[in-house]
Amino acid sequence: MAQRFLILEDGSIYPGHSFGAGATTTGEIVFNTSMLGYQEIVTNQIYHNQIIVFSQPIIGSIGIAHDSYESILPTAKGMVVRDITDISKNRQRSLSLDQFLKQHNIPGISGIDTRHLIRQIKQTGTIKGSIVDVADDHAFDQLHATVLTNQQVAQVATPRPYPNPNQGYNVVVIDFGLKHGILRQLSKRDCNVTVLPWDASAQDIINLDPDGVLLSTGPGSPLDLPESVLDMIRTIEERIPLFAIGLGHELFALANGSEITKLKLSHHGANHPIRKIITNEIIYAMESEEYVVDPDSVDRDRLITTYLDLIDGSIQGLRHRDYPAFSVQFFPDGAPGPDDSVDLFDEFVEIMGTRE
Amino acid sequence: MDNEIQKVLIIGGGPTEIGHETELDAACVQVIQAFKKQGIRSLLIDNNPFSVALEDVQPTNIFIQAVTANNVQRIIEREQPDAILASVGGVTAISVVQELQENGVLADNDVKTLGIPADALMDINNPDRLNDVMRHVGVPVIASETVGTLDEAINVATKIGYPVIVKPIAPRIDTNRMLCENEQDMISAISRGFSWSRFKQCVIEQSIVGYKEIELVSMRDAMGTQVLIAGLENIDPIGIHSGDSMVVTPTLTLSNEEYETLRDTAFAINNQFQFTGVVHTHFALGSSENSYYVTKVTPYNDRGTSLVACATGYPIAYVAANLYLNQKLTDVHLPEIYHFKQTALLEPSLDHVVVRIPLWPFEDVKNADQHLSTVMKSVGSTIGVGRSTEEAILKALRSSQFSPQDELPSMNDLTDSQLISQLIHPLSSRILVLIEALRRGYQIDELTELTKIDPFYFVKLRHILEIEDHIKAHPMGVDALHEGRYYGFGDGMIARIWHTDIDTVRKLGQDNHISPTYKGIEPSAGELLNSPTAYYSTFELENESQQISAKTVLVLGRGGNQLGPNASADYFTTEMLKQLRKSGYQTVIMNTNPNAGSLTATLSDKQIIDPVQLGDIMNVIAIEHPVKIFVPGNRHYLTRELRHRNYVISILPPDQEKRSELLNDHANIGLDLFVTEGHIVPILASDLRSDRGIATTLDQITLMRTPATLTDQQLTAIIAHAKDYLGAHKRTGMVQMLYTTNGQQAPQFAGVRPTRLTTIAYLNKVTGINWVRMLVRQALGEIDEDLIAKLAVDIRSDRRSQVRGTFPFKQLQLPDQLGLTTQEVGARISFETL
Repeated sequence: MAQRFLILEDGSIYPGHSFGAGATTTGEIVFNTSMLGYQEIVTNQIYHNQIIVFSQPIIGSIGIAHDSYESILPTAKGMVVRDITDISKNRQRSLSLDQFLKQHNIPGISGIDTRHLIRQIKQTGTIKGSIVDVADDHAFDQLHATVLTNQQVAQVATPRPYPNPNQGYNVVVIDFGLKHGILRQLSKRDCNVTVLPWDASAQDIINLDPDGVLLSTGPGSPLDLPESVLDMIRTIEERIPLFAIGLGHELFALANGSEITKLKLSHHGANHPIRKIITNEIIYAMESEEYVVDPDSVDRDRLITTYLDLIDGSIQGLRHRDYPAFSVQFFPDGAPGPDDSVDLFDEFVEIMGTRE
Repeated sequence: MDNEIQKVLIIGGGPTEIGHETELDAACVQVIQAFKKQGIRSLLIDNNPFSVALEDVQPTNIFIQAVTANNVQRIIEREQPDAILASVGGVTAISVVQELQENGVLADNDVKTLGIPADALMDINNPDRLNDVMRHVGVPVIASETVGTLDEAINVATKIGYPVIVKPIAPRIDTNRMLCENEQDMISAISRGFSWSRFKQCVIEQSIVGYKEIELVSMRDAMGTQVLIAGLENIDPIGIHSGDSMVVTPTLTLSNEEYETLRDTAFAINNQFQFTGVVHTHFALGSSENSYYVTKVTPYNDRGTSLVACATGYPIAYVAANLYLNQKLTDVHLPEIYHFKQTALLEPSLDHVVVRIPLWPFEDVKNADQHLSTVMKSVGSTIGVGRSTEEAILKALRSSQFSPQDELPSMNDLTDSQLISQLIHPLSSRILVLIEALRRGYQIDELTELTKIDPFYFVKLRHILEIEDHIKAHPMGVDALHEGRYYGFGDGMIARIWHTDIDTVRKLGQDNHISPTYKGIEPSAGELLNSPTAYYSTFELENESQQISAKTVLVLGRGGNQLGPNASADYFTTEMLKQLRKSGYQTVIMNTNPNAGSLTATLSDKQIIDPVQLGDIMNVIAIEHPVKIFVPGNRHYLTRELRHRNYVISILPPDQEKRSELLNDHANIGLDLFVTEGHIVPILASDLRSDRGIATTLDQITLMRTPATLTDQQLTAIIAHAKDYLGAHKRTGMVQMLYTTNGQQAPQFAGVRPTRLTTIAYLNKVTGINWVRMLVRQALGEIDEDLIAKLAVDIRSDRRSQVRGTFPFKQLQLPDQLGLTTQEVGARISFETL
């Protein structure tokens, strides 16, 4: 494997070996402490613009599986790992992680002291980096000059509506960078789903006469989306049961007067205990948070906090006082990660039922 | 917190045997620490002379007795404890508490069971009842039936179809699955099964041989909050007992969906049984979707939980102890040593890989069948920790071979037909045979077919061979050295490949700045915690381990447990660490045994989990600059090599390298003495016996009984002789003088030898003086001669006691035979009527 380098904005250089695509790439460095599910992670659209560092050192060991895509066209900017295994286990023995990344033009670098890198990012906070062939001044100049787009949702969300037909409740999913786990959970519950583009208007939604609306996960900052999205949410939540996840949750909070802050260091992992406030239960779920709801800004006349991360104290769930609308910051569909909170989808179905 | 619980009777693990070693005692020590902090009074029953826990409990609360239902009942009736804890006593303890539950002793005396509710106790060792619970929870269940006679067994097996598995119901020992390919196998398995079952019943079930064996370790509190600590993946498939299988953590070949399904199942079972504390759930995982079964539920500490604790840095036994007292996981506040206050609630994330390789006793018990099967035969294990699978495998292998020069044995003299036979019917050389097959060009698909081992592991083993080729092709190559070290090759291995010596290899590394970087073992993958106490080495960018003090002692642990004095070595090492700390030293321990109590985080200032081999030791020395290196027992090659390099070595007990001086082999009296510069202190005179009576050679002496059958006059005579002899011959520390008596005649001097580790543990228990600590203080030059003069040792005490070695013959399915010291798997001590 050819030698390549991971370089960071602060001047640090990590030599490693190339896998996946050989392109030069630049993105925000984020790390994920999940123990499983590299395929689900790298295909999750929330990593658009980002280079993902895996703390689990052994990556690629089960190849690529047909049922582990969180999107068919991944848009992550790169993978940084300690150890990569070139193995394929599907029936054709035809698709390893390495081949998959090549096909999607995503570069990877292995042989990196990822533990050191993570400990370093902890100090510097979120930082930009590149995977390059030569770690020279030119590479650093390019890195510093690269401006990452903030129109991420528009880049990854579906431009046109599409259906996922079934016999049950009629659900409209607004795609901000939709994670397929959400569709799988709705399918399991027989929901008849129509996925609409991120900029769908309230009228577009209402025209489909849904029993419920789900605001999906997605990449980037909720503050980069136009006010019209918040207007849509404010209109819908009054009339139709609403469930919002990830970026959807952040938008739901914004639409209801809360403020969003950017974390100095993003957190991606499934190891933090989360308290479900109403029952005092502790659950675990995949969290991917870069933006969180500022707890002091929550308008308590409108919103109730439902879930709390016990390690960093972040708000993990909200519920509207007046409307059948609720949201979670974490991924209740797992993929990867525990499905301790998968019953939130049942709750959503139940709410759609009571409204009937 | 449950305030009604003030006094808890803890059932110890009893003597080490196949199925459990020091892990139970290590867990017991942590439970006692946690109970003490909660103001709980712990009572402890155990007859294991190598128990560290027995040192940690007030003498008045100790019951040195065999763990039997009768003995436990007597203690309950006399002491009236509020609760009883079986979770650190293994299968025997569970079986005893089951019996006391059934016969009403617990109810009559109002004794609660901690951790495992009384109802659940009846179900967990009964495959039939376990299956009912599985059906209730919605978990797939293997076709099975309970039988009580051979005829029934044959009928059921014919109905299900061979191969089938026979499992005794409520077994007394931890050997609970036997594979039967045909009726003949069934006949022998069922009679063994009936004899191990407390109810003379067995379950016959459909064989799932070839499935992946996966284990999960989880914690649950009384509120129902659960934390998954880690998953273990057996590299060998079902068909080889998990205790005899190579095991890796975290799981490396499972999909997220498979893993989460098993996690949900484990949690559902824990909820159904209302367990509190730690639970170890075993699964068989098929290759088709949703084909998985629960094969075993062990809601107590065992080798799986200790491996996970060692691999993650999560203090399982300590946290579990709090949960037994009905504390909530959210309220468990850990001592600072365990990272940070919420560690108990953090689901561990690892950034390293741990591989465990078992150790078998076949060197010492040559007549045993060496095939690996559903009955466990290993007596210990070693782990390797690395940042790659290759590194973890190689380190575990290097520690498991005990080659003083750090080399791996070659398998190239096997014929091809032997090789194939061993691939299908594995022996203890399993992993070396897999590597040899790859070396001979066997294809991965073929090997997967023959062995049912996931192809991932063959890809990794083949990579190890590629690296070896690279090293071979580039003698004294800098890149080759870096690559070799990066993937776990030891300096000794590389030196051998290059036909040079280890110093040349190390100099090449030094000159080219190829230095080890130590990484912390902690449960947050670098995200939350900064200063763990446990480390392993690799060769990357950042080193996290700095010298801890200018007054450090490095202790070289004994590694994986084997037969012989090893059973007592970990006890010895642990007591050594305690004294070193008390004497004002910071301590660093190197060890590779995941079950070792000496690796408990609270006992030393730093734990290094790396092979205890010359190159690795010198790497640690280069950082810590210890003022002294302590070696429990002796490792001749290592101590010689280290001394040769001018390091200060203390071997304890001392003089282990001095040969015994023997006039004859027929000694039947031993006199143990403690010898300082100024004093010779007789400690104990005892009868020396074999397991069967008279010992005709020294290695048959596996039983010591006291008081010795000596007249006062004879005792006086041997003490006088011993003092004279030791005064004239330079020996210090602890020695055993040997004599031969025959009735009333004056005892004949038969020789002198260093006191065995096993014997020292016994002397501690008999005299109430901790001789290990005395030896440590002596080695540190801290002995107060005045104090020695005043030592209250009553050599004429008429208190009757004995210690006798225990042997693994039954588990190895050998006829009972005369055991030798080198074959001891453990020992039991008694102060009762003899």
